[in-house]
Order: sequence, then structure tokens, then C-alpha cells
Amino acid sequence: MSGTLRTALARQTGPATRALRDPLVAGLVGLCLAAAAALLVAPPAPYLVNALGQLAAFAILAVSLDLVWGYLGILSLGHGLFFAIGGYVCAMHLLAHGAAVTGVLPDFVQFMGWKSLPAYWAGLDHAAYAFLLALAVAGLVAFLFGLASFRSRVNGVYFSIISQALVYVAMLLMYRNDTGLGGNNGMTGFPLLFGWPMGSPGVVTGLAVATLMALAAVLAGARLLVGSAVGRRMLACRDDETRLRTLGYSTTRLKLGIWCLSAMIAALAGILYVPQVGIINPRVLAPDLSIEIAVWVAIGGLGRLGGAVIGAVLVNGLKFWLSAAMPEAWPFILSGLVLLVVLVLPNGLLDLAGLRPTWLRAAR
Amino acid sequence: MSALVVDALTVVFGRFTALDAVSLAVDPGEVRAVIGPNGAGKTTLLDVISGITKPVAGRVTLGDGLDLTQCSEAAIARAGVRRKFQKPSVFPALTVRENLEIGCGPALAPRERPARISSVLGEIGLAPRAAVLAGRLAHGEKQWLEIGMVLAAEPALLLLDEPVAGLSDAETAHTAALIRALRRPDRAILVIEHDMAFVEAVADRVTVLHEGRTLYEGSMRGARGDARVIEVFLGR
Amino acid sequence: MADPGRRAILALWSLALACLALPATAAPFDRAALAAALCGDGAAQVRGAEGLVQAGGALPGDDLAFAGRILGALAERRLSCTAEGAVLLDRPGAPEGRDAVTDAVRPAAEARAPVLGLRQRAAVETARGMIGLLTGPDPAARAAGLAVLERRIATVPEAVFDRARDAETDPGLKSTIAGLAQAAALSSADPARRVAAIGAVAASPSGTARARLAALKGDPAYATDPAFRAAVDAGLARVGRAVAIGDALAVVYNGLSFASILFMAAAGLAIIFGLMGVINLAQGEFIMLGAYATYGVQEALRRFAPGLLDLYLVAAIPVAFGAVALVGIVVEALILRHLYRRPLMSLLATWAVSLFLVNLIRVTVGTQNLQFAMPAYVSGGVPLYADFVVTWNRLFAIGFAVVTLALTLLILRRTPLGLDIRAVTQNRDMAACLGLPTRRVDRLAFGLGSGLAGLAGVALCPIYSVNPGMGSGFIIDSFMVVVLGGVGSLAGTLVAALGVGGANVLLEPISGAVAAKVIVLVGIILFLQRRPEGLFAFRRRR
Repeated sequence: MSGTLRTALARQTGPATRALRDPLVAGLVGLCLAAAAALLVAPPAPYLVNALGQLAAFAILAVSLDLVWGYLGILSLGHGLFFAIGGYVCAMHLLAHGAAVTGVLPDFVQFMGWKSLPAYWAGLDHAAYAFLLALAVAGLVAFLFGLASFRSRVNGVYFSIISQALVYVAMLLMYRNDTGLGGNNGMTGFPLLFGWPMGSPGVVTGLAVATLMALAAVLAGARLLVGSAVGRRMLACRDDETRLRTLGYSTTRLKLGIWCLSAMIAALAGILYVPQVGIINPRVLAPDLSIEIAVWVAIGGLGRLGGAVIGAVLVNGLKFWLSAAMPEAWPFILSGLVLLVVLVLPNGLLDLAGLRPTWLRAAR
Repeated sequence: MSALVVDALTVVFGRFTALDAVSLAVDPGEVRAVIGPNGAGKTTLLDVISGITKPVAGRVTLGDGLDLTQCSEAAIARAGVRRKFQKPSVFPALTVRENLEIGCGPALAPRERPARISSVLGEIGLAPRAAVLAGRLAHGEKQWLEIGMVLAAEPALLLLDEPVAGLSDAETAHTAALIRALRRPDRAILVIEHDMAFVEAVADRVTVLHEGRTLYEGSMRGARGDARVIEVFLGR
Repeated sequence: MADPGRRAILALWSLALACLALPATAAPFDRAALAAALCGDGAAQVRGAEGLVQAGGALPGDDLAFAGRILGALAERRLSCTAEGAVLLDRPGAPEGRDAVTDAVRPAAEARAPVLGLRQRAAVETARGMIGLLTGPDPAARAAGLAVLERRIATVPEAVFDRARDAETDPGLKSTIAGLAQAAALSSADPARRVAAIGAVAASPSGTARARLAALKGDPAYATDPAFRAAVDAGLARVGRAVAIGDALAVVYNGLSFASILFMAAAGLAIIFGLMGVINLAQGEFIMLGAYATYGVQEALRRFAPGLLDLYLVAAIPVAFGAVALVGIVVEALILRHLYRRPLMSLLATWAVSLFLVNLIRVTVGTQNLQFAMPAYVSGGVPLYADFVVTWNRLFAIGFAVVTLALTLLILRRTPLGLDIRAVTQNRDMAACLGLPTRRVDRLAFGLGSGLAGLAGVALCPIYSVNPGMGSGFIIDSFMVVVLGGVGSLAGTLVAALGVGGANVLLEPISGAVAAKVIVLVGIILFLQRRPEGLFAFRRRR
């Protein structure tokens, strides 16, 4: 298709085609699928496969935050909560599944001196139920918190601060040992995944491939969403919420819907992340970690789905490497990176590449 | 029957009374101008009608008896009330066409939107600029686009807050013509404006507000001759 | 001579007789009998030591000194039991020593050295404590003895305390002994004394007094003697009421001191937030810097003016304020100045600053807790009522917060800068139109808000442990205070700090610390349903 024809088409049909015409997202989706295929055909060393899978899970998490922050103007400093909900439910499933197959109770259950798993664990050994439960719990928590906040028009910095308090309180809660969720040690020692031994090369590759495919699906789905009529309303709401309301739209419903969707995507990331690292504990609920998610998005490029992916992969890749190579220096590098992006490249590293399309640049 | 009845409306910000028992009634098909010096409470009046500010006392009812003081902004808009803000409020990240699409409101079926958008584009004269981002429009173009956005839903009550503020004479004339063209028997228009020539050109009747109270209501000609109005506008 | 066992029994009999006879006629103390008892089996040792305690109130000093020597030897395994009697050794396992009674040198090579069991050790310690109390050469030794006796008060006759009280020269120790004498009189043999003692104990209420009185409910006399029973019940009711009031006062006091810390942490945040819409996520680290500045002042005084060391907390006030205000102004000038139109980005920027500061201190100073000298004005406290003790360190924090509040109000209400800050807070555009240098006002206000965090750091030093990560501990609570208090209102901040601090302290004993935080957060979210702008806020027009 020639350039002029494409421009003409875009002018004529507007945003619908524009949505599908995001080369960065299209490229990243293709890259994910290609990487997944490559892993299946010729898997490299398991630790590399595992690292790739973890990065993909973080990228999903970043996309979920970009959806509400970049496109709706709602900065959540508590997205770690939804990630943790997914992770905890997944860990519960893995332990329940392991206990059902091997008959050995998880360590922390024995540590607490209990004879069996707590009652509310019932049914969690079924993967489909656990999966739906994780999404449902994340969605429900997001709904209740979002309803309370958006209905009373709590937004901007207020919302960010309260969401941070939410994740902080959740962290304190999970540090307690009597919750039946492992207390401060968290949950680890997952024996099996769908009956296969955890850590075997096949499982590691399978998890990484599944996460990459999920990332591709989330990216494509999110791109369709932001390119749709709903996506245009999201941008409208971000830039002038009162104006949108006085045109007859219930912004509360719009924000609530996207907020819950974002929370469920974050939970999905948690579900995929936990079996790959083999542990979940309350530290994932530390407020600092939730702020870091926002940092990935800001570094990659706010309001640009591809930017969120690039930011998450870049920062976490650097972190994997540097926190082993020079752990003292990593916090300084991270804070320097944040200040650099915030002050010099307000739209993230994508500014450097000049990849940001004009229609978004005008939003600032 | 009136299209809009404002009854003994009182709005208080802290210790400051912005509106003090203001009443007015607008007939269907009428263009009513609300004038008054800065701080008279004009914008606050529109804020209450469009649901952004809640009054401490009084009622605002539409022709069908709906009490707007009990409704959310979105519900008021869905009842056929549209507001054009003083500061041009368009969505800068969206194109002109997309702005108008949102302006059609959630009620209009998606199939009917392209036709409605095309006709509004024609009315406001922005058809050639349809694919341009609203953030890149000139100030006057933004004003027209916003008028187009509020028109796209075919409102029964149109609230215009200083539609010609900051416009050139030519643009003002264009806007006056546009508003005159918007008159319909089933539509009431409430305009807030400082520009007396513009008000005289578009309004059937004027209401003069001063320090939160109604000072005068009647024809523009009558307002020019009213001693208290003259004192308020010219005396100090 | 007869075998040691029979001698021990005989000795015990004479000892017991001596006890009974004591109040009337002080029969001479049988030293040999005590030595034999302590060389006997476990039960004999306990009886020997307890008999000594029972007799202790009337024994002459040299007998007590003798008992002290032999008990000390027993406790330190320097007592050797030969067929001829007890021998005191110089060191455990020595081949010879001196006879406990006659002081003659005797071999002890083949002899048995008794080992104390838990029960025996307790009895021996009590007896030694009594001897320490009665014969200790200085108040410290006597107080140590008293501390031992206090733990086993029910086994000590009141005569011991009466004698110690009458002989005591140190006034503080004397009143402590008098208190314990009352408690000891609770188990007196004389019913009238017991009832009197109940009244006396109830007159100075505390949790300990309540426990002591409650223990009397198990006494046989409680069932049989109506007068005794009435006295116990009345005393318990009186003490219970007083303790409840004292505990309530303590909760209020603790809530007030926690609220003071929160207020100081949040006041700066609130001023900055009201003015610029920026929440400074590094405020906790600014507090930490204030605490480190205080430490620096302390170390400087220690080196250059050791005589003034006690005043380091006072000297640190201007230093901490100035240093942290300077840091704040630098942060504002380098970073935040560019972000006023992007408040969400300023959250990330200030978080980066906090990350930087924490790690800077970690790398340069270290991660360990800092050691602070505790001058008299922040250590200890004065018992005010029942168990309620006004601790100086918390009073210091409260007083500090009050002074900070007064000074901040003074600055905001009475100085040109304060007028500018209030003007810009209420209407930035209008203030700019009137020619106010809003950028300069922002910078100075940011300095003021940061300086207040530095002051909070000073106030924290005597209460909390100071380390690089301390800032994150209570900062979320102070964010909640700002959200609850509303934008740019110091009064709102104060009320919200009292509310959040009080709620935390009140709920903690009922529901636990974590649940208290959950309840406070949910409460704030629900409160915002009714008043989204917070407690005190300007209503603004769009």
C-alpha cells in the first residue's frame, strides 16, 4: 500500500483503521509470537527462557497500568495489589493441586499446625476455577475501590495516594500468619503444574510461551480497545472529564469499567508470573514495587501501549543484570533514569526514537 | 409552557453568596441573554443548570418538569441540555470528527452518526478540517467546534457561556449568524455574554444579574434605558 | 556426733521454734542449724532458706552477715558439706576451707558440694535478697535486694519490710520499701493489719496492686471472713476504676504523641500540596534527613563541646530545619519546578528523589540504627495516675508539635511569605496577575514544608529508631492525614492527624495494629464519599 493511499484512507475512515495501523504494537505482537515459536522450536538455556517469560509477565502488568494511566489519566500506585491477587490465587492453586496429587500438605500449613488446607481453599485444585477466581477477586476489589473513588470524584493525586495506601494495607494484612496464605514467608515449593514437575524444561518453556502469547493477546486487545469508540471516550475523559459528562456520558461507568479490566489484566500477569519465579510473598505488595510499575510505563512512554512494553522489558532487564552485577548502584541508576525521563523526555524513551505519533503528542 | 424555569436559586461558596434567590423563565424558541458585570453569578447559573454545582436552595426545572438540581451532569445532558463552556472545551487528542462523534451523545445509534456529523460539520464550517486534531485548531475554530459538539445532540436547551470571548470582529459576526441559525421553535438558548452588540444581535430578551440578584428582565432596548442597569454597568 | 540428716531435722525444729518465738522474745539464732539445713536434701534447703526469711525481720546484723556468707557460698558452689559440718571454700572445688560456724580451717577434699535445684535456688535467692536489703552497704545493693524480694512478695513477712523501711536512709528507696511493706502486709497473720493493708494498697492504684488484691480472692479468709471479703471487694473496685481511668489517660496520651508526629510529618506535605498540588513522596526521607542532621549535631557537640552534649536536641532544631529546607529548595529548583502542570509525574519524580536519598544515606552512613544520647529531659517519666506515666520523650514530641504548629501558623498568618503562600494557594492565577512572584513563593513554601519535615525528624529521634529506611514507616499515615484534612488547610491537617493518630491508637488494643490500619483506611475512603474535598477545603468554581 502506498504512503499517500494509506494517508488518504486514514483521513477518510478515521480512528478505526488508525487503531490497527500502530506499527510499534503490531511489531511487538509479531515479536512475541515469533519468540514464542522460537522457544518451542529451539529453546535456549532454561534460565534465559525463564527470564523471558518473567519479562513478558511484567510487560502485561505495564500494559494494564498504561491503559488506565496513559489513556484515562488515572495513576494507580497500587497496581501491585491486583498483580498479587493473581499471584496468590495461582500459588494457592499450585499448592492445592500439589497436595491433591501428592497428598503432602504445603509447608506453611504444617508450620501453622493445621491438619488440612483452610476451608476456603476448596476447589482451588481445579485450574479453571482458580483462574476465574483470581480474575473475579481482582475485578471485585477493583470494582469496590473504584466505585467508592470515582463516584465521589476522587481523582488525580488523591486517587494515587489512596491506591498506594490500599496496597500498603494489603501488605500489612498479608504479613499476618493467620490468614491461611503463608504469612510473611509467603507460599513457595510448588511441586507440580498440571501434573508435570515444576522446573522441568518443558514446563519452563511452556510457561514462557504461554506468557508471551498472553502478552501478544493483551497488546492486541488493548490496541483494539483504545482505537475504538470507547478508547476515544477514554482520551476525552482523560483530557476533560467534566466536558465529557456534560455531553451525556457517565464517566464513572467508563472509568470503573476500564479500571476493573485493567485490574484483571494485572491479575493475569500475576497468575503467569508466580509459577515462573516459584514464590509469592507479601513483599510484592510493597508500595515501592507498585510505584515501579508506573516507572516502567513512564520510562517506556506513557499513553503508548508499545512504550509500556518496552519500558517494562528495559527496566526489568537492566534490573536483572545490574542488581546482580552492581547491586549498590542499581537504585541510583533507577532514580536517575526516572528523573531523566520525567524532566527531559516527558513522553518516555519513545521520544528518543521519534516514534510518537502526532495525534498523541497533542494531548499533553 | 416554559422550556426552562429557574426558581429562587441560591448558591453559596463558603461565606460568599454567588446566587441569591435568582429566578427566570425561558420560553421554547427563545434566545435569552444573561448579562452582568464580572462576579454577577452568570457562570454559576450555568454551572447549576448543567449540574456541575449544586445549589443550597431553589429548583431548576425543564419543560417536562424534570428537576435538574437532583440530576447528575450526564443525566441532565441526556435530558437534552447542552453547555458550551467559556474556555473552549474540546478534546485535544481527538480529531474534529471524533469530537463531534462524542458530541452526538451516547443515545444516538452509531449508524445515524455519520450523517449527523456531516451536517454539523457543514453548519459550523469545519468540514475541510474534519481530520485535524482539535488541539491544533485556532481559537475561533475551537469555539465553533465546541458549538458543533453541543449541537450534534440536537439539544432542547442550549447554554452558551461567552461564545465570542476573544474572537475577532469577523469571527464574532460569523458566530452571531451561527446562533441565529440555531433558533428553532422547540429549542431554547441561554447566552451569557459581555459584548452588548452581539447580545443585541442574537437575543430576544435579556436578564441582567448583579451581585447574585436579578436586576432587570426584558428587552435589550429596555435594559439600555434602565437606570439601575446603567449605574451597574457605567456608574462604577 | 549424730548423722547429718538427724542434725538437720533437729536444727529445723529449733529454727521453727525460734520463728514462732520471735515477735515476743528474740531467741539466739542457731547458726549451726542453718548450716546443717543447707547441707541437707532439697526440701531441707528450702525450709532452711524460708525459715531464715521468716525470721529475718528480727535477726541481729552479725547473724544476717553469717547467713549471707553461707548462702552466698551455697549459691556459688563454694559450700562443702563434710561429716563435721559445712565448710566455706574460697573457690569451687578448693581442697580446704573454713568451717562455716567456727571459722576453723578444715579439709574438704572428699566432701559433697550441694547443687541447687530451681525451687531451692529461688528460696536461696529470696533469702539473699532479704539479707541484701537489710545489710546492703549502699542504696544500690539494698535496691537490688528489694527487687529480688518484690518478685516473691507473698513469701516475705512484713516485718522484713518494716525493719528495712525504718532503717532506710535513701528517701526514694524508703518510699518504695514502704509500698512493698503494704503489699507484704496483705499476707500478714493479723486480720486487722491485712484489712488495713488492703486499704493502703488500694490507695495507690496500679495494675500490680490490682493483681495483688485479686490474688486475695483465692485466700481462705476470703470465704470465711466477711470483713476481709468486703475489704477486698471494695479495694478491687476502687483500684479497677482507677486503673481503667489511668489506662484511658495513657491511650489518650499515646494517641496525642502519635498524632503529634503525624501532624509534623503531614503539615509540610499539606502546605506543599495545597500550594502546588504536588504530593512529595520523599517527605519521609526528608524526615529521615532531619534525624540524621540531629545525629550530626550530636556528634559535633560530642567532639567539640562535650559539656553541651545534652542540649543537642535543641541545637539540632535550626540545623535540621535549615539543612532539610535547603535540600527541599534544591529539589524544587532542579526538578519539581518543571512538573507543576504534571502532578502525577511529580509523584514519580519525588519517589525517585526518595530512592536516591535512602540509598545515598545507606552507602555513606550505613544501614545500622543510629545511637542517640538520652539527656534527662527525654528519658524516663513521671507516674501521674495509676499506671499512667507521662514519659518525657513523648511529651517532648507533643510539645515540639505544638510549638511547630504555633510557628507555622505565625509564618502563614503574620509574615509576608505566609500571605503570599495563602494567596497563591487560593488563587494562583489571580495572585500572578497581582504581581506576586508565584515561582519564588513556591520555592520558599517548598523549603518551609521540607524544613517542617526536618523538624519532625528531630522530634522522632528520642522515640523511634533512626535508620535510612525509617521514612517509609509512617509516611502513608501522613498521606492519609493530608487526604483527610483537605487541601491547604493547616486546621484540617491538625484535626485529621488527631483523628488518624487517635483512631490508630484506640483501635490497636481492640483489633490489632494491622486491622486498625485497615479500619482507618476504609474509614477515610467512606468519609471521602461524603466530603471528597476533605475536612476543611475551599469550594472552588470550575
